[in-house]
Amino acid sequence: MQLFNSPFFWFLEGILFCLVILGFKVWAEDRCVPMPFWKWLLLVAWMALLGFTLAFIGTSLGEGEANAAVKGGILFGIVVVISGVGLWRLIMIGRRTRGRDAPADS
Amino acid sequence: MAETRRQTPKAALFKYLSIIVVLSAAAVYGRFRSGPVLEPYVHEVFPEAARMEVSDGIYAALTEQGKLLGWAGVGSASGYGGPLLVIVGIDTEGHVVGARVVEHRETPLFLRMARVSRFFASLTGRSFDRIDYDYEHVVGVTGASRSAGAITAGVRAAVMKIAARKFSIQLSSPERPFEFGILEITLLVLFTIGIASQYLGSSVSELLRWASQIVGLLIIGFWKNSPLTIAKITALLAGYFPGLRWSVSLYLLITGFVLTVMIFGTSIYCSHVCPFGAVQRCIGAVGGRSARLPTRSVRLLRGLRNFIVFFAVFSALIVSKPALASYEPFAVVFALKGSLLQWFLLLIVILASLVINRPWCRLFCPMRVCERVLQDARQRGIDYWKARRHD
Repeated sequence: MQLFNSPFFWFLEGILFCLVILGFKVWAEDRCVPMPFWKWLLLVAWMALLGFTLAFIGTSLGEGEANAAVKGGILFGIVVVISGVGLWRLIMIGRRTRGRDAPADS
Repeated sequence: MAETRRQTPKAALFKYLSIIVVLSAAAVYGRFRSGPVLEPYVHEVFPEAARMEVSDGIYAALTEQGKLLGWAGVGSASGYGGPLLVIVGIDTEGHVVGARVVEHRETPLFLRMARVSRFFASLTGRSFDRIDYDYEHVVGVTGASRSAGAITAGVRAAVMKIAARKFSIQLSSPERPFEFGILEITLLVLFTIGIASQYLGSSVSELLRWASQIVGLLIIGFWKNSPLTIAKITALLAGYFPGLRWSVSLYLLITGFVLTVMIFGTSIYCSHVCPFGAVQRCIGAVGGRSARLPTRSVRLLRGLRNFIVFFAVFSALIVSKPALASYEPFAVVFALKGSLLQWFLLLIVILASLVINRPWCRLFCPMRVCERVLQDARQRGIDYWKARRHD
Protein backbone atom coordinates (compact mmCIF):
# COMPACT_ATOMS: atom_id res chain seq x y z
CA MET A 1 0.00 0.00 0.00
CA GLN A 2 2.95 2.31 0.59
CA LEU A 3 3.68 2.22 -3.15
CA PHE A 4 0.41 3.97 -4.00
CA ASN A 5 1.24 6.88 -1.70
CA SER A 6 4.79 7.33 -2.94
CA PRO A 7 5.81 9.97 -5.54
CA PHE A 8 7.41 7.15 -7.51
CA PHE A 9 3.98 5.62 -8.22
CA TRP A 10 2.63 8.89 -9.60
CA PHE A 11 5.82 9.43 -11.60
CA LEU A 12 5.37 5.94 -13.10
CA GLU A 13 1.70 6.54 -13.77
CA GLY A 14 2.50 9.84 -15.54
CA ILE A 15 5.03 8.06 -17.77
CA LEU A 16 2.54 5.31 -18.58
CA PHE A 17 -0.18 7.86 -19.35
CA CYS A 18 2.14 9.69 -21.76
CA LEU A 19 3.08 6.39 -23.42
CA VAL A 20 -0.59 5.45 -23.85
CA ILE A 21 -1.41 8.83 -25.43
CA LEU A 22 1.69 8.69 -27.63
CA GLY A 23 0.88 5.11 -28.65
CA PHE A 24 -2.65 6.09 -29.50
CA LYS A 25 -1.39 9.00 -31.65
CA VAL A 26 0.90 6.66 -33.61
CA TRP A 27 -1.91 4.11 -33.95
CA ALA A 28 -4.36 6.76 -35.24
CA GLU A 29 -1.84 8.04 -37.82
CA ASP A 30 -1.00 4.50 -38.89
CA ARG A 31 -4.69 3.65 -39.38
CA CYS A 32 -5.48 7.00 -41.07
CA VAL A 33 -7.90 8.02 -38.30
CA PRO A 34 -8.26 11.81 -38.18
CA MET A 35 -7.94 13.11 -34.63
CA PRO A 36 -9.27 16.69 -34.29
CA PHE A 37 -9.13 18.39 -30.91
CA TRP A 38 -12.66 17.33 -29.84
CA LYS A 39 -11.76 13.66 -30.22
CA TRP A 40 -8.69 14.17 -28.02
CA LEU A 41 -10.83 15.98 -25.45
CA LEU A 42 -13.36 13.13 -25.38
CA LEU A 43 -10.57 10.57 -25.17
CA VAL A 44 -8.96 12.32 -22.20
CA ALA A 45 -12.36 12.66 -20.48
CA TRP A 46 -13.00 8.95 -21.00
CA MET A 47 -9.57 8.06 -19.62
CA ALA A 48 -10.31 10.21 -16.56
CA LEU A 49 -13.57 8.28 -16.10
CA LEU A 50 -11.72 4.98 -16.43
CA GLY A 51 -9.14 6.16 -13.90
CA PHE A 52 -11.89 7.26 -11.52
CA THR A 53 -13.57 3.83 -11.81
CA LEU A 54 -10.33 1.99 -11.08
CA ALA A 55 -9.57 4.36 -8.21
CA PHE A 56 -13.08 3.83 -6.79
CA ILE A 57 -12.67 0.06 -6.83
CA GLY A 58 -9.15 0.28 -5.40
CA THR A 59 -9.96 2.68 -2.59
CA SER A 60 -13.15 0.80 -1.68
CA LEU A 61 -11.21 -2.45 -1.43
CA GLY A 62 -8.49 -0.66 0.52
CA GLU A 63 -11.06 0.46 3.07
CA GLY A 64 -12.49 -3.05 3.37
CA GLU A 65 -15.72 -2.17 1.53
CA ALA A 66 -15.87 -5.11 -0.87
CA ASN A 67 -19.61 -4.67 -1.46
CA ALA A 68 -19.14 -1.04 -2.48
CA ALA A 69 -16.22 -2.05 -4.71
CA VAL A 70 -18.34 -4.64 -6.55
CA LYS A 71 -21.44 -2.46 -6.92
CA GLY A 72 -19.51 0.71 -7.74
CA GLY A 73 -17.28 -1.26 -10.11
CA ILE A 74 -20.33 -2.64 -11.93
CA LEU A 75 -22.10 0.73 -12.04
CA PHE A 76 -19.14 2.82 -13.21
CA GLY A 77 -17.81 -0.10 -15.27
CA ILE A 78 -21.05 -0.14 -17.26
CA VAL A 79 -20.78 3.61 -17.85
CA VAL A 80 -17.13 3.22 -18.90
CA VAL A 81 -17.88 0.38 -21.33
CA ILE A 82 -20.91 2.07 -22.92
CA SER A 83 -19.15 5.43 -23.24
CA GLY A 84 -16.06 3.59 -24.49
CA VAL A 85 -18.02 1.90 -27.27
CA GLY A 86 -19.68 5.21 -28.17
CA LEU A 87 -16.30 6.97 -28.15
CA TRP A 88 -14.79 4.27 -30.36
CA ARG A 89 -17.53 4.79 -32.94
CA LEU A 90 -17.01 8.57 -32.78
CA ILE A 91 -13.24 8.21 -33.17
CA MET A 92 -13.71 6.05 -36.23
CA ILE A 93 -15.70 8.80 -37.95
CA GLY A 94 -13.85 10.01 -41.04
CA ARG A 95 -11.43 7.09 -41.12
CA ARG A 96 -9.80 6.70 -44.53
CA THR A 97 -8.67 3.38 -45.94
CA ARG A 98 -5.19 3.45 -47.51
CA GLY A 99 -6.24 1.67 -50.71
CA ARG A 100 -9.01 4.11 -51.53
CA ASP A 101 -7.04 7.29 -50.83
CA ALA A 102 -3.71 6.23 -52.32
CA PRO A 103 -2.97 7.53 -55.85
CA ALA A 104 -3.59 4.96 -58.53
CA ASP A 105 -0.46 3.31 -59.98
CA SER A 106 0.13 4.30 -63.54
CA MET B 1 -44.36 -18.89 -30.75
CA ALA B 2 -43.05 -21.47 -33.19
CA GLU B 3 -42.97 -24.25 -30.61
CA THR B 4 -46.54 -23.53 -29.47
CA ARG B 5 -47.78 -23.48 -33.08
CA ARG B 6 -46.67 -27.07 -33.60
CA GLN B 7 -48.79 -28.28 -30.71
CA THR B 8 -52.23 -29.69 -31.39
CA PRO B 9 -55.11 -27.93 -29.64
CA LYS B 10 -55.47 -30.87 -27.26
CA ALA B 11 -51.77 -30.84 -26.34
CA ALA B 12 -51.84 -27.08 -25.79
CA LEU B 13 -54.99 -27.37 -23.69
CA PHE B 14 -53.36 -30.09 -21.59
CA LYS B 15 -50.20 -27.99 -21.13
CA TYR B 16 -52.06 -24.84 -20.07
CA LEU B 17 -54.47 -26.74 -17.83
CA SER B 18 -51.54 -28.48 -16.10
CA ILE B 19 -49.83 -25.14 -15.49
CA ILE B 20 -53.04 -23.57 -14.20
CA VAL B 21 -53.75 -26.49 -11.86
CA VAL B 22 -50.19 -26.55 -10.44
CA LEU B 23 -50.07 -22.77 -9.92
CA SER B 24 -53.58 -22.69 -8.44
CA ALA B 25 -52.68 -25.48 -6.01
CA ALA B 26 -49.54 -23.56 -4.99
CA ALA B 27 -51.54 -20.35 -4.53
CA VAL B 28 -54.23 -22.05 -2.45
CA TYR B 29 -51.62 -23.81 -0.30
CA GLY B 30 -49.68 -20.58 0.23
CA ARG B 31 -52.79 -18.55 0.98
CA PHE B 32 -54.47 -20.86 3.45
CA ARG B 33 -51.57 -22.37 5.32
CA SER B 34 -51.49 -21.52 9.03
CA GLY B 35 -50.85 -17.92 9.93
CA PRO B 36 -47.93 -16.63 11.97
CA VAL B 37 -47.47 -17.64 15.60
CA LEU B 38 -47.64 -14.32 17.42
CA GLU B 39 -46.47 -15.21 20.94
CA PRO B 40 -42.72 -14.94 20.19
CA TYR B 41 -43.27 -11.45 18.79
CA VAL B 42 -45.22 -10.39 21.87
CA HIS B 43 -42.26 -11.62 23.93
CA GLU B 44 -39.91 -9.55 21.77
CA VAL B 45 -42.03 -6.45 22.40
CA PHE B 46 -42.52 -7.24 26.12
CA PRO B 47 -39.34 -9.20 27.08
CA GLU B 48 -40.23 -9.17 30.80
CA ALA B 49 -43.66 -10.77 30.22
CA ALA B 50 -43.99 -14.21 31.83
CA ARG B 51 -47.40 -15.05 30.36
CA MET B 52 -50.01 -13.56 28.10
CA GLU B 53 -53.76 -13.62 27.66
CA VAL B 54 -55.60 -13.10 24.42
CA SER B 55 -58.94 -11.39 24.27
CA ASP B 56 -60.64 -9.59 21.41
CA GLY B 57 -57.58 -10.12 19.18
CA ILE B 58 -55.28 -8.27 21.59
CA TYR B 59 -52.53 -9.86 23.69
CA ALA B 60 -52.25 -8.75 27.31
CA ALA B 61 -48.68 -9.15 28.58
CA LEU B 62 -48.45 -10.12 32.27
CA THR B 63 -45.66 -10.64 34.78
CA GLU B 64 -45.26 -13.81 36.90
CA GLN B 65 -47.31 -12.14 39.63
CA GLY B 66 -50.06 -11.21 37.19
CA LYS B 67 -49.21 -7.53 36.91
CA LEU B 68 -50.34 -6.09 33.59
CA LEU B 69 -47.43 -4.72 31.53
CA GLY B 70 -49.38 -3.65 28.46
CA TRP B 71 -51.06 -4.86 25.31
CA ALA B 72 -49.86 -5.97 21.91
CA GLY B 73 -52.01 -5.77 18.79
CA VAL B 74 -51.53 -6.68 15.16
CA GLY B 75 -52.21 -4.30 12.28
CA SER B 76 -52.42 -5.22 8.61
CA ALA B 77 -51.86 -3.20 5.46
CA SER B 78 -51.37 -3.86 1.78
CA GLY B 79 -47.72 -3.83 0.72
CA TYR B 80 -45.86 -4.36 -2.57
CA GLY B 81 -46.34 -8.13 -2.57
CA GLY B 82 -49.53 -8.49 -0.52
CA PRO B 83 -50.67 -7.99 3.09
CA LEU B 84 -48.09 -7.01 5.68
CA LEU B 85 -48.64 -7.62 9.41
CA VAL B 86 -47.09 -5.44 12.11
CA ILE B 87 -47.29 -5.99 15.87
CA VAL B 88 -47.18 -2.99 18.20
CA GLY B 89 -46.83 -3.09 22.00
CA ILE B 90 -48.29 -0.33 24.17
CA ASP B 91 -47.83 -0.13 27.97
CA THR B 92 -50.58 0.68 30.47
CA GLU B 93 -49.62 4.38 30.37
CA GLY B 94 -50.29 4.46 26.64
CA HIS B 95 -46.67 4.58 25.47
CA VAL B 96 -45.33 2.46 22.63
CA VAL B 97 -42.80 -0.10 23.89
CA GLY B 98 -41.89 -1.68 20.56
CA ALA B 99 -42.97 -2.77 17.11
CA ARG B 100 -42.05 -5.64 14.79
CA VAL B 101 -42.94 -6.88 11.31
CA VAL B 102 -44.69 -10.22 11.90
CA GLU B 103 -45.40 -11.34 8.35
CA HIS B 104 -44.70 -9.82 4.99
CA ARG B 105 -44.55 -10.57 1.29
CA GLU B 106 -42.01 -7.90 0.40
CA THR B 107 -38.50 -8.44 -0.90
CA PRO B 108 -36.10 -9.40 1.92
CA LEU B 109 -33.85 -6.51 0.87
CA PHE B 110 -36.52 -3.97 1.72
CA LEU B 111 -37.12 -5.29 5.20
CA ARG B 112 -33.40 -5.50 5.91
CA MET B 113 -33.12 -1.84 5.06
CA ALA B 114 -36.28 -0.92 6.94
CA ARG B 115 -34.85 -2.53 10.05
CA VAL B 116 -31.67 -0.57 9.59
CA SER B 117 -33.71 2.58 9.45
CA ARG B 118 -34.73 3.79 12.86
CA PHE B 119 -38.41 3.92 12.15
CA PHE B 120 -39.46 1.38 14.76
CA ALA B 121 -36.99 2.79 17.26
CA SER B 122 -38.44 6.25 16.73
CA LEU B 123 -41.86 4.98 17.85
CA THR B 124 -40.63 3.67 21.20
CA GLY B 125 -41.58 5.79 24.21
CA ARG B 126 -44.13 7.88 22.33
CA SER B 127 -47.69 8.22 23.54
CA PHE B 128 -50.00 6.36 21.17
CA ASP B 129 -51.89 9.55 20.28
CA ARG B 130 -48.69 11.42 19.46
CA ILE B 131 -47.06 9.08 17.01
CA ASP B 132 -45.27 10.66 14.09
CA TYR B 133 -45.96 8.30 11.23
CA ASP B 134 -42.73 9.21 9.54
CA TYR B 135 -43.56 7.80 6.17
CA GLU B 136 -40.99 9.88 4.32
CA HIS B 137 -38.21 8.73 6.64
CA VAL B 138 -38.66 5.08 5.70
CA VAL B 139 -39.16 5.94 2.04
CA GLY B 140 -36.01 8.01 2.03
CA VAL B 141 -33.96 5.14 3.36
CA THR B 142 -35.33 2.34 1.22
CA GLY B 143 -36.80 3.83 -1.94
CA ALA B 144 -39.69 1.34 -1.63
CA SER B 145 -42.69 3.61 -1.15
CA ARG B 146 -45.43 0.94 -1.19
CA SER B 147 -43.66 -1.27 1.38
CA ALA B 148 -42.81 1.69 3.61
CA GLY B 149 -46.39 2.94 3.39
CA ALA B 150 -47.63 -0.52 4.38
CA ILE B 151 -45.41 -0.58 7.48
CA THR B 152 -46.63 2.81 8.69
CA ALA B 153 -50.25 1.91 7.86
CA GLY B 154 -49.85 -1.40 9.71
CA VAL B 155 -48.48 0.39 12.80
CA ARG B 156 -51.36 2.86 12.63
CA ALA B 157 -53.94 0.05 12.37
CA ALA B 158 -52.46 -1.80 15.37
CA VAL B 159 -52.31 1.38 17.49
CA MET B 160 -55.91 2.28 16.59
CA LYS B 161 -57.08 -1.21 17.57
CA ILE B 162 -55.44 -1.05 21.03
CA ALA B 163 -56.53 2.56 21.59
CA ALA B 164 -60.16 1.74 20.81
CA ARG B 165 -60.40 -1.51 22.77
CA LYS B 166 -58.22 -0.80 25.80
CA PHE B 167 -58.28 2.99 26.19
CA SER B 168 -61.73 3.60 24.65
CA ILE B 169 -60.26 6.28 22.42
CA GLN B 170 -61.21 6.40 18.76
CA LEU B 171 -58.19 7.68 16.82
CA SER B 172 -58.94 9.18 13.46
CA SER B 173 -57.40 7.51 10.45
CA PRO B 174 -56.58 9.72 7.49
CA GLU B 175 -58.11 8.27 4.37
CA ARG B 176 -55.56 7.20 1.81
CA PRO B 177 -55.77 9.65 -1.07
CA PHE B 178 -56.86 8.63 -4.54
CA GLU B 179 -53.58 8.16 -6.35
CA PHE B 180 -53.80 9.73 -9.76
CA GLY B 181 -50.76 11.79 -10.65
CA ILE B 182 -47.93 12.09 -13.09
CA LEU B 183 -47.33 8.32 -13.22
CA GLU B 184 -50.91 7.45 -14.12
CA ILE B 185 -51.16 10.28 -16.68
CA THR B 186 -47.87 9.19 -18.25
CA LEU B 187 -49.09 5.61 -18.55
CA LEU B 188 -52.33 6.70 -20.20
CA VAL B 189 -50.46 8.95 -22.65
CA LEU B 190 -47.85 6.31 -23.53
CA PHE B 191 -50.44 3.58 -24.10
CA THR B 192 -52.43 6.01 -26.28
CA ILE B 193 -49.30 6.82 -28.31
CA GLY B 194 -48.57 3.11 -28.66
CA ILE B 195 -52.10 2.38 -29.89
CA ALA B 196 -52.00 5.35 -32.30
CA SER B 197 -48.66 4.07 -33.66
CA GLN B 198 -50.43 0.92 -34.86
CA TYR B 199 -52.28 3.03 -37.41
CA LEU B 200 -49.49 5.42 -38.45
CA GLY B 201 -46.70 5.16 -41.02
CA SER B 202 -43.50 3.39 -40.05
CA SER B 203 -41.29 6.51 -39.86
CA VAL B 204 -43.78 8.45 -37.70
CA SER B 205 -44.46 5.47 -35.46
CA GLU B 206 -40.71 4.87 -35.03
CA LEU B 207 -40.26 8.49 -33.99
CA LEU B 208 -43.18 8.23 -31.56
CA ARG B 209 -41.76 4.98 -30.19
CA TRP B 210 -38.44 6.63 -29.40
CA ALA B 211 -40.18 9.59 -27.78
CA SER B 212 -42.51 7.45 -25.66
CA GLN B 213 -39.69 5.15 -24.58
CA ILE B 214 -37.54 8.08 -23.48
CA VAL B 215 -40.46 9.54 -21.50
CA GLY B 216 -41.13 6.08 -20.00
CA LEU B 217 -37.47 5.72 -19.08
CA LEU B 218 -37.38 9.07 -17.29
CA ILE B 219 -40.78 9.03 -15.55
CA ILE B 220 -41.74 5.35 -15.06
CA GLY B 221 -38.12 4.27 -14.62
CA PHE B 222 -35.86 6.81 -12.96
CA TRP B 223 -38.48 9.00 -11.29
CA LYS B 224 -41.21 6.60 -10.15
CA ASN B 225 -39.42 3.23 -10.43
CA SER B 226 -42.71 1.52 -11.28
CA PRO B 227 -42.21 -0.85 -14.21
CA LEU B 228 -44.41 -3.91 -14.61
CA THR B 229 -42.76 -6.84 -12.87
CA ILE B 230 -43.60 -10.52 -12.50
CA ALA B 231 -44.07 -9.89 -8.76
CA LYS B 232 -47.10 -7.69 -9.52
CA ILE B 233 -48.65 -10.39 -11.70
CA THR B 234 -47.85 -13.04 -9.08
CA ALA B 235 -49.52 -10.95 -6.34
CA LEU B 236 -52.74 -10.93 -8.39
CA LEU B 237 -52.43 -14.68 -9.05
CA ALA B 238 -52.08 -15.18 -5.28
CA GLY B 239 -55.35 -13.32 -4.81
CA TYR B 240 -53.95 -10.09 -3.40
CA PHE B 241 -55.84 -7.29 -5.09
CA PRO B 242 -54.74 -3.93 -3.66
CA GLY B 243 -57.36 -1.19 -3.44
CA LEU B 244 -58.02 0.57 -6.73
CA ARG B 245 -57.85 4.01 -5.07
CA TRP B 246 -54.13 3.74 -4.30
CA SER B 247 -53.11 1.28 -7.02
CA VAL B 248 -54.41 2.95 -10.19
CA SER B 249 -51.00 2.67 -11.88
CA LEU B 250 -50.83 -1.08 -11.20
CA TYR B 251 -54.23 -1.72 -12.75
CA LEU B 252 -53.42 0.59 -15.68
CA LEU B 253 -50.21 -1.33 -16.35
CA ILE B 254 -51.82 -4.76 -16.21
CA THR B 255 -54.98 -3.80 -18.11
CA GLY B 256 -52.93 -1.99 -20.77
CA PHE B 257 -50.59 -4.94 -21.13
CA VAL B 258 -53.32 -7.60 -21.44
CA LEU B 259 -55.76 -5.61 -23.58
CA THR B 260 -53.19 -4.46 -26.14
CA VAL B 261 -51.86 -8.00 -26.60
CA MET B 262 -55.38 -9.38 -27.00
CA ILE B 263 -56.46 -6.64 -29.43
CA PHE B 264 -53.33 -5.97 -31.48
CA GLY B 265 -51.43 -9.23 -30.96
CA THR B 266 -48.41 -7.33 -29.66
CA SER B 267 -47.55 -5.76 -26.33
CA ILE B 268 -47.72 -1.96 -26.47
CA TYR B 269 -46.26 -1.97 -22.95
CA CYS B 270 -43.09 -3.71 -24.16
CA SER B 271 -42.67 -1.56 -27.26
CA HIS B 272 -43.64 1.89 -25.93
CA VAL B 273 -43.83 1.97 -22.12
CA CYS B 274 -41.26 -0.37 -20.53
CA PRO B 275 -38.35 1.72 -19.16
CA PHE B 276 -35.90 -1.19 -19.17
CA GLY B 277 -36.64 -1.80 -22.84
CA ALA B 278 -35.73 1.86 -23.41
CA VAL B 279 -32.45 1.41 -21.53
CA GLN B 280 -31.50 -1.49 -23.80
CA ARG B 281 -32.57 0.36 -26.92
CA CYS B 282 -30.46 3.42 -26.05
CA ILE B 283 -27.43 1.24 -25.29
CA GLY B 284 -28.03 -0.73 -28.48
CA ALA B 285 -28.01 2.52 -30.46
CA VAL B 286 -24.55 3.27 -29.03
CA GLY B 287 -23.15 -0.22 -29.63
CA GLY B 288 -24.73 -0.91 -33.00
CA ARG B 289 -26.27 -4.27 -31.84
CA SER B 290 -25.00 -6.05 -34.96
CA ALA B 291 -24.57 -9.56 -33.52
CA ARG B 292 -27.01 -12.35 -34.36
CA LEU B 293 -27.50 -15.25 -31.96
CA PRO B 294 -27.76 -18.78 -33.40
CA THR B 295 -31.38 -19.98 -33.54
CA ARG B 296 -30.62 -23.02 -31.39
CA SER B 297 -29.12 -20.84 -28.65
CA VAL B 298 -32.13 -18.53 -28.72
CA ARG B 299 -34.49 -21.50 -28.43
CA LEU B 300 -32.46 -22.96 -25.57
CA LEU B 301 -32.35 -19.65 -23.67
CA ARG B 302 -36.08 -19.11 -24.15
CA GLY B 303 -36.78 -22.60 -22.81
CA LEU B 304 -34.60 -21.83 -19.83
CA ARG B 305 -36.45 -18.53 -19.30
CA ASN B 306 -39.84 -20.27 -19.38
CA PHE B 307 -38.64 -22.72 -16.75
CA ILE B 308 -37.20 -19.95 -14.54
CA VAL B 309 -40.43 -17.94 -14.75
CA PHE B 310 -42.57 -20.98 -13.87
CA PHE B 311 -40.26 -21.93 -11.01
CA ALA B 312 -40.14 -18.34 -9.67
CA VAL B 313 -43.93 -17.91 -9.77
CA PHE B 314 -44.55 -21.38 -8.29
CA SER B 315 -42.07 -20.79 -5.44
CA ALA B 316 -43.48 -17.35 -4.70
CA LEU B 317 -47.05 -18.68 -4.63
CA ILE B 318 -46.27 -21.65 -2.41
CA VAL B 319 -44.59 -19.48 0.23
CA SER B 320 -47.16 -16.73 -0.41
CA LYS B 321 -44.50 -14.07 -1.03
CA PRO B 322 -45.13 -12.68 -4.55
CA ALA B 323 -42.17 -10.30 -4.33
CA LEU B 324 -39.81 -13.29 -4.34
CA ALA B 325 -40.76 -14.05 -7.97
CA SER B 326 -39.17 -10.82 -9.13
CA TYR B 327 -35.73 -11.59 -10.48
CA GLU B 328 -35.61 -8.61 -12.82
CA PRO B 329 -32.76 -6.14 -12.25
CA PHE B 330 -35.05 -3.09 -12.64
CA ALA B 331 -34.53 -1.77 -9.11
CA VAL B 332 -30.76 -1.88 -9.64
CA VAL B 333 -31.00 0.38 -12.68
CA PHE B 334 -33.64 2.78 -11.42
CA ALA B 335 -32.97 2.90 -7.67
CA LEU B 336 -29.50 1.33 -7.31
CA LYS B 337 -31.03 -1.28 -5.00
CA GLY B 338 -30.87 -5.05 -5.43
CA SER B 339 -29.09 -8.24 -4.56
CA LEU B 340 -25.55 -8.93 -5.75
CA LEU B 341 -26.96 -11.47 -8.23
CA GLN B 342 -29.17 -8.77 -9.76
CA TRP B 343 -26.16 -6.44 -10.07
CA PHE B 344 -24.26 -9.10 -12.03
CA LEU B 345 -27.35 -9.88 -14.10
CA LEU B 346 -27.61 -6.20 -14.96
CA LEU B 347 -23.94 -6.10 -15.98
CA ILE B 348 -24.43 -9.06 -18.34
CA VAL B 349 -27.63 -7.63 -19.86
CA ILE B 350 -26.19 -4.16 -20.36
CA LEU B 351 -23.02 -5.46 -22.01
CA ALA B 352 -25.06 -7.81 -24.20
CA SER B 353 -27.32 -4.88 -25.19
CA LEU B 354 -24.36 -3.27 -26.92
CA VAL B 355 -24.16 -6.06 -29.48
CA ILE B 356 -27.56 -7.83 -29.36
CA ASN B 357 -30.94 -6.20 -29.92
CA ARG B 358 -32.79 -5.98 -26.54
CA PRO B 359 -31.43 -9.24 -25.08
CA TRP B 360 -33.41 -8.97 -21.83
CA CYS B 361 -36.73 -8.54 -23.66
CA ARG B 362 -36.04 -11.37 -26.08
CA LEU B 363 -34.36 -13.91 -23.84
CA PHE B 364 -34.95 -13.25 -20.15
CA CYS B 365 -37.99 -11.02 -19.51
CA PRO B 366 -40.84 -12.80 -17.66
CA MET B 367 -43.37 -10.41 -19.20
CA ARG B 368 -42.47 -11.86 -22.61
CA VAL B 369 -43.66 -15.24 -21.34
CA CYS B 370 -46.99 -13.65 -20.35
CA GLU B 371 -47.16 -12.01 -23.78
CA ARG B 372 -46.53 -15.35 -25.53
CA VAL B 373 -49.27 -17.06 -23.52
CA LEU B 374 -51.75 -14.28 -24.34
CA GLN B 375 -50.73 -14.28 -28.02
CA ASP B 376 -51.21 -18.03 -28.17
CA ALA B 377 -54.63 -17.79 -26.52
CA ARG B 378 -55.59 -14.99 -28.93
CA GLN B 379 -54.49 -16.91 -32.00
CA ARG B 380 -56.25 -20.09 -30.91
CA GLY B 381 -59.40 -18.08 -30.23
CA ILE B 382 -59.23 -16.56 -33.71
CA ASP B 383 -58.62 -19.98 -35.31
CA TYR B 384 -61.53 -21.47 -33.38
CA TRP B 385 -63.85 -18.61 -34.34
CA LYS B 386 -62.85 -18.90 -38.04
CA ALA B 387 -63.42 -22.67 -37.99
CA ARG B 388 -66.85 -22.18 -36.45
CA ARG B 389 -67.75 -19.57 -39.10
CA HIS B 390 -66.79 -21.90 -41.96
CA ASP B 391 -68.86 -24.70 -40.44
